[in-house]
Amino acid sequence: MIEVLDYLQFVLAPQVVTGLTLGVAVILVALGLTIIFGLLDVINMSHGEFYALGAFMALALSWIGVPFWLLLVLVPLAMLPIGYLVERSLIQRVFNSKDRHVTTLLLTFGFGLVLEEIIKLLFGPNPYKPETPIRGAIEVFGIFIPNYRLFLIVAGGAVIVAVALIVYRTRWGAIVRAAAFDRHMAASLGVPVHRVYAIAFAFGVALAGLAGVLLAPIYSVFPTMGRDFILLAFTVVIVGGMGSIAGAVVAGLFLTQVQAIASLYISPVWSDPIVFGIMVIMLMVRPQGLYGRLGHA
Amino acid sequence: MSGPVLEARELSIRFGGLRAVDNVSFAVERNLVTTVIGPNGAGKSTLFNLISGLARPQHGTVFIEGKPYRNAQPHQMQKAGLARSFQITNLFFDLPVAENLRLAAQVLEPKRLWTMPVSASRRAAEVVEQLLERFGLQDKAGYLAGALSHGEQRRLEIAVALACRPKILLLDEPTQGMSHGDTEHTAGLIRSLTSDVTVLLIEHDIGLVMSISDQVIVMHQGQKLAEGKPAEVRANPAVQTAYFGHA
Amino acid sequence: MRDALTNSMRASHVLALVLLAAGLMFAAFGAVTNDTFYLRLATEALIFGGLALAVDILLGYTGLLSLGQAMFFGLGAYVAAVVLIAIPSFWLAFGAALVAGILTGLIGGFIANRVRGVYFALITFGMAQVVAKVIYNTRSLGASDGLIGVPIVKINFGLFAVSSDNPVGFFLFTMAYVGALYLIAAYILDTPFGRLLIALKANERRVPFLGYHATSARLAAYVLAATIASLSGALYPMLRGFASPELLFFATSGNAVITVITGGAGTLIGAIYGSVLLTVIKSYVGSWTEHHLIVIGILFMLVVIFLPNGLMGVVRPWVEKLLARKTRS
Ligand SMILES: Nc1ncnc2c1ncn2[C@@H]1O[C@H](COP(=O)(O)OP(=O)(O)OP(=O)(O)O)[C@@H](O)[C@H]1O
Ligand SMILES: [Mg+2]
Repeated sequence: MIEVLDYLQFVLAPQVVTGLTLGVAVILVALGLTIIFGLLDVINMSHGEFYALGAFMALALSWIGVPFWLLLVLVPLAMLPIGYLVERSLIQRVFNSKDRHVTTLLLTFGFGLVLEEIIKLLFGPNPYKPETPIRGAIEVFGIFIPNYRLFLIVAGGAVIVAVALIVYRTRWGAIVRAAAFDRHMAASLGVPVHRVYAIAFAFGVALAGLAGVLLAPIYSVFPTMGRDFILLAFTVVIVGGMGSIAGAVVAGLFLTQVQAIASLYISPVWSDPIVFGIMVIMLMVRPQGLYGRLGHA
Repeated sequence: MSGPVLEARELSIRFGGLRAVDNVSFAVERNLVTTVIGPNGAGKSTLFNLISGLARPQHGTVFIEGKPYRNAQPHQMQKAGLARSFQITNLFFDLPVAENLRLAAQVLEPKRLWTMPVSASRRAAEVVEQLLERFGLQDKAGYLAGALSHGEQRRLEIAVALACRPKILLLDEPTQGMSHGDTEHTAGLIRSLTSDVTVLLIEHDIGLVMSISDQVIVMHQGQKLAEGKPAEVRANPAVQTAYFGHA
Repeated sequence: MRDALTNSMRASHVLALVLLAAGLMFAAFGAVTNDTFYLRLATEALIFGGLALAVDILLGYTGLLSLGQAMFFGLGAYVAAVVLIAIPSFWLAFGAALVAGILTGLIGGFIANRVRGVYFALITFGMAQVVAKVIYNTRSLGASDGLIGVPIVKINFGLFAVSSDNPVGFFLFTMAYVGALYLIAAYILDTPFGRLLIALKANERRVPFLGYHATSARLAAYVLAATIASLSGALYPMLRGFASPELLFFATSGNAVITVITGGAGTLIGAIYGSVLLTVIKSYVGSWTEHHLIVIGILFMLVVIFLPNGLMGVVRPWVEKLLARKTRS
């Protein structure tokens, strides 16, 4: 009996907490992806690089002495104009091409390559390990949780709730949902659809940047950090339903727990194939995912 | 062979609460023109979708030459001898006009030719030539279908359906959006088809319906309201109220 | 009268001949200067051109964006490597890669063809990830190091033999091999079946009403593309002496897509031109900076925005006109 409790306390619970930390971060990234897809019909292949950009911005700013708390605000704010510009100057150029899905996917893929390489050029290929902004750990129900992870879960969770509230409870969110449901109808009702697109894109990118800031102290910061992470985020978006906010949250929590538990019971190296396998199966049996698309449900 | 070439028995489909096609039965005799009329939203196109395999009926069966087809897919209905055109022009817009027709015609080529370059498919090429001429599209053979005028596209739409040599041809508002002259010309074409094809037509132009049809089926709110010779149907008081809006 | 699509394919053949002539000159030059490095690089460009060919069959002809074609390329490479390590016979490795391409193509096609559009792109991407990670974790396949120590093979043609360690010989052989893959693909695409694929790209919804089973046609296209990718991959371990998990990664699949788009999707020969072009840029820009991906990424974006039909989209219509004029006169 004691062994069982010990096991729960020292082996399983920490793994669940680790999974939860990753879950919250991945949801932040997935939210941006899913909003961009739900609204613009664009699969943003450069999203992982925006996440890396956020982490590197935080790194660079911290070198010149900007405190962590400020980074949490400054980096997403700095990402906004970048995202806005990318949407207006790149995506809008091909937005009305015959096969929007493919063309925008290719374009953002190219942009991601360039962005990643620029980061490499500026910072070199090697990883950086930023200091943890909050040290120590606290004990909750006999489980030791590093303070910073707890902070990440709470702060990230708050942001996720805030995003959901913005989309579902505010006037701005209503505009976004209307534009996602029927862009022509929304446009004829006087919604400045193109500006809404650009803002939503910027907003999604800012969320990725925020995830970068939050995760930098836990994982190291390196130019290709977005690659593996974005695969997980894509999986979350697909399983949850492309364009669904609730889906991203549910699938994000679920898949990161699957990953954490699989790492424990099978092997960490098999957690990725398992998660991607879930994505493939989901695409086979229910391509629209668990939940309906933004503006449609 | 005797008996109707096409028969629909108790076809029904609902979309949510809407009974788009509600227990519709009818039979079509060989080499005649049968026209389905009815106000917008009556369920005419949906009826065509049920017959051609685009939508699955929740109830009912389609018979072709007495053989039942339940839940058949579009390519199976084509094999059964059925072809259709679409109300909203549905062509290979990025391909040349001749290729649109060739694609439809090549389905009849023997298996052996499927492993050879298309230039070996002589019969398909002949069919294409004939149809181009018949539909007045010879000069446009090399144009992309997307570059044709609306009227020409509507004609090509019919020609593509004909190119796979059907026994039964379903035409959904073939003259829609055509000029008066084009409409007349198309009507003549359709009439001339009946020497070897049975035509089921959806048409809004009442003048055309009266002149072209051997038989008329009136649909209203998913149901078959009346059926008969054009003159009989026109005189039917129920049709007058439902369709022409006055008794 | 020869129809327009056949004429376009002939134009591609003319451009293929130009490339062949350039290749022969390059080989002669390499032989004279006793070069190894550039010949090997060019051989690699052709091998990856074969992968791009497969991507073009799907994207340019059937209208399916595969983001995981490297899976078949890598499987072909691994299968060939395993065979060659056991028995260093080219024809055995070739046969094994052929069978592997067809079988995995059938399985992958069965999975991927359940969905359309973006979902197809994502499912191919996901499948390749799963397979890549599995290989990456499999110790008996060398895990993250890959399979190393693939022996030099003698490719026996009866009358003569080519050794994979002869830079000129293996380059010429690869040119013939990828050229054969190109011709097979071109031949198939000009049959009624090939036209059916083109019809699927142009308007998938009309196809069933012409009497075709669209799903089977799509599956056949997928198997064809998988086989071509696998057969291309089979040459890789002969050239480099190893097969590594990177060959299956998204970077490889993505690179093939960049190649096709830049070279010109739907032209077939564009895939080879694209691969040569990107290799030239990579080695040229790479000689003064390791960040050549910035140049390639920007070039790719410019092509997507301004030249949606790629390089061959500009060049080929010009050749087509020449050919059309010649047949008329
Ligand atoms: N896939 C569908 N899902 C939901 N409702 C549908 C669907 N297809 C048709 N309907 C509805 O079924 C009804 C019949 O439509 P249908 O297109 O058959 O009418 P129609 O008689 O062809 O009209 P029109 O003359 O305008 O072409 C309409 O109310 C339409 O909105
Ligand atoms: Mg209709």
